[in-house]
Amino acid sequence: MLLPENQSSGGAVIKVKGNMPLAENMNSPKTEPNNQINITAKKRLANWGKYKTGFLFASPWIIGLLVFYAIPLVSSIYFSFTTYSILQPGEFIGLQNYKELMNDELFWKSVYNTVYFAVFYVPLGIIFGVALAMMLNMKVKGMAVYRTIFFLPTLVPHVALAVLWMWLLNPGFGLVNGILSTIGIEGPSWLGSETWSKPSLILMSLWGIGQAVVIYLAGLGDIPEDYYDAANVDGANWFQKTFHITLPLLTPVIFFNLVMGIIGAFQQFTLPYTLTQGKGTPANSLTFYVMYLYDNGFKFFKMGYASAMAWVLFLIVMALTAFVFITSKRWVHYQGK
Amino acid sequence: MKQKQKKIGSLVLMIMLTLSMILTGCSSKSSSSGKANKNQTTVTFWHPMTDVTGEAVDAVIKEFEKQNPDIKINSVYTANQGEGQNEKLMTAISGGNPPDVAYFDRFEIGSWAAQGSLEDLTQLAESSGVTKETYYPFAWDEANYQGKLFGIPTTTDSRLVYFNIDHFKEVGLDPENPPKTIAELEAAAEKLTKKKGKRFERIGFIPWFGQGWFYGWGWSFGGEFYNPETNKATAEDPKLVEALQWITDYAKKYNVEDIAGFTDSQGQGAMDPFLTGQLSMKVSGPWEVSAIKKFKPDLKYGVFPLPTPTGENHTTWSGGWSVVIPKGAENKDAAWKFMKFFGGEEGQKVFSGIARDFSVIDSVNEELGYKGDPILKEFVKILPVSHHRPVMTQGSLYWNELASAVENATRGNGSPEELLTKVNEKVNKELSK
Repeated sequence: MLLPENQSSGGAVIKVKGNMPLAENMNSPKTEPNNQINITAKKRLANWGKYKTGFLFASPWIIGLLVFYAIPLVSSIYFSFTTYSILQPGEFIGLQNYKELMNDELFWKSVYNTVYFAVFYVPLGIIFGVALAMMLNMKVKGMAVYRTIFFLPTLVPHVALAVLWMWLLNPGFGLVNGILSTIGIEGPSWLGSETWSKPSLILMSLWGIGQAVVIYLAGLGDIPEDYYDAANVDGANWFQKTFHITLPLLTPVIFFNLVMGIIGAFQQFTLPYTLTQGKGTPANSLTFYVMYLYDNGFKFFKMGYASAMAWVLFLIVMALTAFVFITSKRWVHYQGK
Repeated sequence: MKQKQKKIGSLVLMIMLTLSMILTGCSSKSSSSGKANKNQTTVTFWHPMTDVTGEAVDAVIKEFEKQNPDIKINSVYTANQGEGQNEKLMTAISGGNPPDVAYFDRFEIGSWAAQGSLEDLTQLAESSGVTKETYYPFAWDEANYQGKLFGIPTTTDSRLVYFNIDHFKEVGLDPENPPKTIAELEAAAEKLTKKKGKRFERIGFIPWFGQGWFYGWGWSFGGEFYNPETNKATAEDPKLVEALQWITDYAKKYNVEDIAGFTDSQGQGAMDPFLTGQLSMKVSGPWEVSAIKKFKPDLKYGVFPLPTPTGENHTTWSGGWSVVIPKGAENKDAAWKFMKFFGGEEGQKVFSGIARDFSVIDSVNEELGYKGDPILKEFVKILPVSHHRPVMTQGSLYWNELASAVENATRGNGSPEELLTKVNEKVNKELSK
């Protein structure tokens, strides 16, 4: 990389890089007479010189991270103890927001809705995802086409997905109820019914499972053929191969998708928000945690309260993830261990 | 082969980059052309209007610019601005870079003024002779908060029940004598409804459909929502409980999930159930007239006021829009000139004449012939007794809480009394903060 004779347009950059080792070389002889501690200190300084350019190059990203993530994140802890409303700084009220949350009925309703969604969506997502991936891993002609078909729904923006499913689930002339009526079942009013609104949402979300399937497929491709060959020699059938080779060796990928699935499920927002125009109808059965948070922050001038909600959500997700991580030692099998 | 592909790829990339550079060059040029004239002040105006109202507001701007050559209005369409979604405006104000004028739902002025996010217009109005007497009292009151003016009203509306004359004749109801009392309304609805199993072929009336918000029914039952003297919500008012009880009983009678199945299958515009003849009566505003004219001109229909338990003291409520100056706006004086024009008689005539939205000035409505139209005159006639939503710091919260109380009551999640008590507690707790 360091070609001094390179006279191309990139020369300026290369020159800077070329100077660096030089500067270090000039520094290092001076450090020699000093004692051990001094050497390490100077070495650190010298290292800083080496890293400086790197940090400079990374600085746009670092500054962006600090300004747009770290500072808002930390300040939201403070705001959660105030009556901040975006337009006004508000007063410090200690734990009042958190206390109020505990007595807020709609808050608990939104927690219930979100947990309900997560409890059904995450396991179903894993079951369907793995099953689909295994089907898409068969050696059939035109597999690339099938894989593309199952991945396509993930490319649909959530807003478009919501509108599409509103038509499919339309109780009067929707396709779903149309098919149900041909086999003699009178379908429910789906999104208009308190009992069926959340199952409808889970159904829609499962439609966009392609992303996870791709990861499962990669995981499946990672399992060496040798195991299957050995199993074949031993006369293992399909079930035995699936449950004793494929699934155990797929657990690292399932583990990853489980954690991501939980986080995603708790942050469910776009779909129900678009479906109900932000109202969570019918009867708040589609008011999800983040929707209520958003309403508080941006509609009711209660950004402090919303910040408190965000931190409660963070703790919930953190606790769940920690739980999954702790149990993972029992059920996740890494290859080569 | 591979190299060739690479070459084509880099060529495409280069073309795209050059194109994007040209495009960005163009856009910066067009934005700077607005300030071409140095003596002109540019007033940025955010509004959510499209279609007919969009044309109307353009006409107002054109007329204003003709009369004020030193001011240029930069009209910016901002989706859903003021329609319960003011996030963009809110962040613009807190970021210190708001538009000079914003189109704003009048009932939210109270809460926004309380947050100190709107400019006080009292002085400007006094010095340029804009007074209460020009406007309908409810429109003016809504634009004020704690005795100070924060917005200039621009449009208004009212709500009545539309009914399908042919349906009335078909089932033997007298279209000349539409329901006056709640009992008559229920009887008529029952006659008009055709239900097969779980499915409605036609439904007589759905109290909460369209503009059937709880405010309308509450006031029609003689209830009060707010006491301005004590600054307390009064959702527990026994009359309001009675109104919600009636809606709940109605939902039970027709099975709310079946009604939801019906309403969820309905479309908007030309597919509106009232226009397709699947709904015989519907609460709506004056804009329905132009929709009917556009999509189903041969529909025979009439209007009547929201029925009351006694058949007397009919009332309704009016909302409407206004223009405000967000806190921190740069060109306040020029902005005020524009607002004054928009809300004044001249601007109102231009706007209301095209948009067919009611003006907030009585004489303009008269001049535009709204009082001569057989349907529209009913809407204008009821304006003097019309209510407006309480001017309070928690207007949005109260609105949302009432809507979800109705929804929960109709779905059987708690009795009307319990639900309204809860609404009252929640809103009053926020009001006392």
